[in-house]
Parts: sequence; structure tokens; C-alpha cells
Amino acid sequence: MNAKRSLFSRAMITVSVLMIACLVLFALVPGWIAPYSPTEMNGAAILQAPGGSHLLGTDYFGRDILTLVIYGSRDALIIGISAVLLGGGIGALIGAIAGYSGGFIDAVLMRLIDTLMTIPGILLALTVSAVLGPSKFNLIIAVSISIIPSFARVLRGQVLTIKNRTFIEAARSIGTSHLRILFSHIAPHAFSSLLVMGTIGVGSAILMGSGLSFLGLGSSEEIPDWGSLLSEGRSYISMAWWIATFPGLAITLLVVSINFLGDELQSAIGPRKG
Amino acid sequence: MNLSFPKFKWAIVMAIGFSLVVSGCSNGDKNAPANTASTNEAPASTPTEGGELTFALAGSPSTLDVGVTSSDIDFRVGRNIFDSLVGELPDHTIKPWLAESWEISADKKSYTFKLRTDVTFHDGTPFNAEAVKVNFDRSADPNGKSVYAKQLLGPYESSEVIDESTLKVNFKEPFTPFLSNLAKSTLGIQSPESFKKYGDQVGQHPVGTGPFKLASWVANSEIVLEKNSDYKWPSPAAEHSGPAYLDKIVLKLIPEESTRVSSLQSGQVLAAESIPAQNIVALEKDPNYQIQKALLPGATFQLTFNNEKAPWNNVKLRQAVQSTVDIDAIVKSLYLGTFPRSWSPLSSSTLGYDSSLEDSYKVDIQHANQLLDEEGWKLGADGIREKDGKPLEINYIDITGNREKRGDIIKMVQQQVKQIGVKMNVSIMAAGPYVDALKAASYDLVGHSFAGGDPDILRTIFSKANWSTNEYANSNFARFYDPQIEQQLTDAYQEADPEKRIATYKELQQYFVKNAVSIPVYVFPYTIAESKKVSGITFDFPGYPQFYDVAVSK
Repeated sequence: MNAKRSLFSRAMITVSVLMIACLVLFALVPGWIAPYSPTEMNGAAILQAPGGSHLLGTDYFGRDILTLVIYGSRDALIIGISAVLLGGGIGALIGAIAGYSGGFIDAVLMRLIDTLMTIPGILLALTVSAVLGPSKFNLIIAVSISIIPSFARVLRGQVLTIKNRTFIEAARSIGTSHLRILFSHIAPHAFSSLLVMGTIGVGSAILMGSGLSFLGLGSSEEIPDWGSLLSEGRSYISMAWWIATFPGLAITLLVVSINFLGDELQSAIGPRKG
Repeated sequence: MNLSFPKFKWAIVMAIGFSLVVSGCSNGDKNAPANTASTNEAPASTPTEGGELTFALAGSPSTLDVGVTSSDIDFRVGRNIFDSLVGELPDHTIKPWLAESWEISADKKSYTFKLRTDVTFHDGTPFNAEAVKVNFDRSADPNGKSVYAKQLLGPYESSEVIDESTLKVNFKEPFTPFLSNLAKSTLGIQSPESFKKYGDQVGQHPVGTGPFKLASWVANSEIVLEKNSDYKWPSPAAEHSGPAYLDKIVLKLIPEESTRVSSLQSGQVLAAESIPAQNIVALEKDPNYQIQKALLPGATFQLTFNNEKAPWNNVKLRQAVQSTVDIDAIVKSLYLGTFPRSWSPLSSSTLGYDSSLEDSYKVDIQHANQLLDEEGWKLGADGIREKDGKPLEINYIDITGNREKRGDIIKMVQQQVKQIGVKMNVSIMAAGPYVDALKAASYDLVGHSFAGGDPDILRTIFSKANWSTNEYANSNFARFYDPQIEQQLTDAYQEADPEKRIATYKELQQYFVKNAVSIPVYVFPYTIAESKKVSGITFDFPGYPQFYDVAVSK
């Protein structure tokens, strides 16, 4: 049974990695792969069904859906990765400082984080986005803020368990500075859990970013992202199912792949293993 | 515990998701037979008396105090609760309604109405000259809360009660649009008793003389109207006399357009308003439904330049854009032929519409390029024209929401103007910043429409008086001012001779199109999709639905 399971997960890992690699390639060089220009509006070919010269059909502007899905991967990955780097970075820093200093600073920082946590992530992002106005940059900020609390909590926990180990005590006793202890001794031990969180975080950040974009809080740039494509196609679902379906599928596949990889990463190196 | 929790979570999420999809699909089917059953109370004959109409409204009225509000949806519901002194037919003739006749004084400043004497409000109080005076005085009160009714009364001075059934309305200057304005539900007559009784809450307790009265109102859910059995003063457009056929109208408030369409298709409602283009196309093919459209009068949706701000204060530059934007392609792609293209700042259903403007200009990229070359805007390396080191840009602002696919229009325009080397920057903002930007006039281009009735709406959008000062008066987004045109706009609303008046409005429309002050895009059709069981939904002149003649067959 164990062998079966691992065979299955190996196959899934391969599929996920391929999937992600594919989309990263799309994001890096969309112009080489996409059959059309993403802004080309062909008035003679609006709402064409998949097949023929438009493999995934066209939307109501006459734009090629395949092309838009390929170009959309760029925004999805940019939003996912930058939100995790920014939000995760800030969260991790807060968590580490809180956990390491303890006492009053810990109490203040963690109550702040708790306050942030009482608001569900998507609601927080929605509010921030609505206040800042719709743009890609603001979207990243909104998603980042919403993921700060979870990173802070996990990192604090990690630091708390590590900081009382004897090797830290040893370092402290020979007069190593706090900064050095935090970054050279504690950080490497917390890295594995950060990696797992970060990976899964990218998936949920993409999902949240697309969600906000779907609600009209994303960028209004010329090349639409997946979320806005989904929203564009929503009201055409009975007439032209392909407009919403393929971007939706792209979001699903990417997020599921990332999450799967994150899960596997967790069972391989995660601290909760066994 | 080797089985990791996340996988469990996935399974649960998927199971929940799947069950939601399944229950979502079956919900409509379950409701359909139950709902239709409740409507076949009377045997099939034409027209069937009794029964109820379920109607999906595209929004949620905030108040039914038509004298105060400025929201279209409030007027649409109000139309069936309140009657007007006169009615306007689609050919713009004015017919008696609650007023039997009227006379206009020689100086064109006073109107004397002879009112019907057999009319009573829903609360039993009599309709008379005093009641009309109370309504007009209330709406025209400079310190009052009225928004649209105040505008419609224009230079209103006073009302004099001559006797129980005779009222004289005085204006400070001639105001020809008055009778047409009077036909709108905005100036529908409310019971003065209700103002006293409910005070500020009268919007939640509307009392009129109309064919239906309010029975119940659950905020954001539904409004129920029931028949006024004493009704015998129908509008001039009505097709029968006596009380309405329907016993009851249930207005379901369904703002989300696809939900509205699916509640019609599942039989939860018998009719629905504001149907999106793609669904109109599908429903027109369906033998169980019919579509009714009313082209709304007023100012059409147009892309209006900030005529004051460089470089777009240059008419040649505006004309270049006018010759580049392919409105036909836009209307065809986005509205699939369900919205007519607009050629004038006035809608085609408005009095004085100049049909000679149709096909008066066409897409001509070469001409556009030539105009820009002549004005010294040279193509730069990046394909964008520049002059004195400045790129040729259009900063477009809009409010979030993509209402009527307006956001999509601008996406197409953005691509089209690239052909002539113009860069378009689109800023989509929330309501607050949008209004601020409008006041500050920091934009080059803005899209807007104004529902109206009379061609005097041109004054709303192009008169100096409506340059941004406050939120409500700010409607000349074109920042347009020309003393001669201003004079013509004033002459036109004071002119009593209909032919001269129409001639002036035609001249004005020609001027605005020739000078590319704005680029008209589409005429908005108010649409109702209804089951074939429903008959008799009519529209009053500004295009609001009237349920008085409606019958629901088995």
C-alpha cells in the first residue's frame, strides 16, 4: 500500500512540476508561444467556439482565448510570488522578532497580528483593495497584507522552539549579538517550514488575486489576467462557455499543482512529519 | 497519523463544492411548477382578470418618494403608484391625464390646469389643486431634498389655487419643456396627507392615485403592489378603463444580471428587466419568451472630451479620434446588434433628434493621421505621436463596475486609437475618487449618459451653468462653453413654437457632432424579457414600464 501511494505521489509530483514549469515558461516568454497578439481584437471572429484557427475559441472582443491564458500566467505568477515575498517576508520578520524577544514586544506584536487575524484573509484583501483602488500593485499589497498573520504565527512558533535549545544558549553565552543569533543560527532552522508555507502561500495568493480581479479590483491593463477573464466570461457562460472555462481551468491546475507540491514538500521536510 | 490533513481537506472541499453545484441546478426546477401554479387563478381568456405578476427588478429602490429621488429604479416602480397631470405619447404629443385641460398664458410663463374632480388618493383623501400645489412647492423648495424633480420644474416660481379643481403654475421665464417633464413619474402627484403622516419616511410609505398601491416592502428582497380597485383615471396610453387586471405585482429585487435571467428561465419570475445583450439574443430565439425594448430618451452614452484641457481643446485632434473610433465594430462585438449605434448626443427617441446625422461620418484612419500630422504631432519611436517632447495621450476615467459593458467599450477604443499613435490611459476608480476627478476636471475623456425626456438635456451636458461646482450641478463633463451655443441652448428651452424649437436643437446637434465635442456610442434600450403568458406591459414616454394593462394567462 505504501509503495502504491508513493508511486501515485511520484506521478503527481511529475505532473505538478511539469504543469508549473509550463506556466512559468508561458510567463517568461509568452510571445514565443502564443499564436496571436493578446490585444488583437478581430471583429470578424467574435465568440468563436474552440477549434479551427482558435484552439480555445475567442471572446466577445474577438481575442484568442489561448493567447490570453498564456499571457495571463505572467500576472498570476507575479501576483502570487511577489505577494508571498512581500507579505511572507514581513510576516516572518514580525514573527521572528516577536518570538525571539518575547515579553512586551512579543505581546504587542502578536496582539496586532491577532487583530489582523480576526478578519478573514479574503475580506481583508477585499477591503484593502477597495480602499487603494484597482491596480496590479495595489492588488499585490492587498494580498500581501492578508497573508502576513499566518507567516508571523508560524515563524514565532518556530523561533520559540529553537531559541531555548542549547546551541542557541551556547551562542548567547559567548556574547554573539542578537541579530547574528537570529539570522545565522535560528533562521536556517526555520527555513524549511518557511519554504513549505511559501509554496502553499503562492497557490493561495494566486487564488486570492484572481478572486479580487474577478470582482473588478484587479488591474485594468490591456492584457487581462485570469480573474478578469473569468469575470468577463461569466455572463456569457450559457452562450460561450469557453471564455470563462479555460482561464478557470488554468487557475485550478496551477493552484492545485502548487498546493500538491507544497503538501509533498511538507511531508518530505516539514517539521510536523511523523 | 500518517494520513495528512490537507488531503482530507481537499476531499471535503470538493464534496461540498459538488453538492452545491448539484443543489444549485435542481433548485430552479423544483420552484418552477409551484410558482406557475399560483398564477393560474382565472380561466384562460383575453385579457385574464386577476392573478399576479412576478417581475425581477435590476436593483433595489432606496425610496419611492419620486419627488426627492434621482434614481431611475425608483421612478420605474413609482410609475405604477403615482399618476401625472399629463401623459406624453411616443410621438411627443401631450395628452390629458389627471388634468383634463390646460391653457398657456400669452407670455408663456403661466400654465392653468383644469383638474379631474373624481380622483382620490389611495388613503381616501381627494386629489385637488391644493394637493398638486403642495407637491410642486415641495419639489421646487430650494432648501428641500429634491434632486431630479427640482430640475424638471426649472424656473418654477409658484402655484396658485384658483379653485378646488383649477391650478395656475407660474414660471420666472418661459419654460417649454414643462409639459413633457410633467408627464414623468418624477412629477407624479403624491398625497399631501402622506407627507404629514410619514414625514421623512414617506419614501417607504408612498401614497398616490395610481393603478397600484404599496402592499408590502421587504428591503433588498421584494416589493408587493396590489390593485387599486377604485381606479378609473388611466393614462392616455392605456388600452382599457377601470381598475388594473392584475390583483398583485410582486417585484423581486435581483441586481445580479445572470441571476435575473436564470430566475426568469426557471419560472421564479414571469418577467425580468434589463437583460444583457447576450441573453437577449438567446431569449429571442426561445419560443417561450418575448422581449420588449424601449429606447430611452435623453443623452446617449457618449465619450466626452474635456474640451477645455490641452491638447484635446484642439478640435482637429478631437476630429482625428472621431474618425478613428469604429463605433459599428464596438456595438456589434459588445451588444450583438441589440443596442443601436448612436450618431447624436441625443437619443433617437428624443424630440428634435436629427436623423440626418446618421452615416454623416465614417472611419477614416488616413484622414485622422493627416489631421494629427498637420497639427504637428509626429510619430515617435514607440509608435506614439509626440509634440514638444510630450506624448499624445488620452486619460480616460471611469467608475468601477463595467456597467452596460462601458469598460469594454474603452478597451476597444484603446486598441483603435493606437492605430493613429494615440496612447490611452484608462483609470477605473471607486465612486468617491471618480466624482473628485470629475470636479477637478483632470481627465481628457469620460464616458456618460443622461436619461431624460426633453432635448433640453443638451443644456444639462453642455451649458456653462453645469460646470463642476457641486456634485449635482456638475454635468457638463465636456467643460464646454461657447457664448453663441449657450444662447441657442437658452433660446431653445424658452421657444414655444415647436418647429422653431426643433430646428434649433437640430442645429445644436450638428454643431456638437461636427466639432467632435463628444463621440456618441450607443442608445440604451430598456429591455424586459417576459414569459409569453404575460401580455400588456407598456412603456410610458421616458421608457418606464406600466403594468396597468398587464394580464397573465394560464
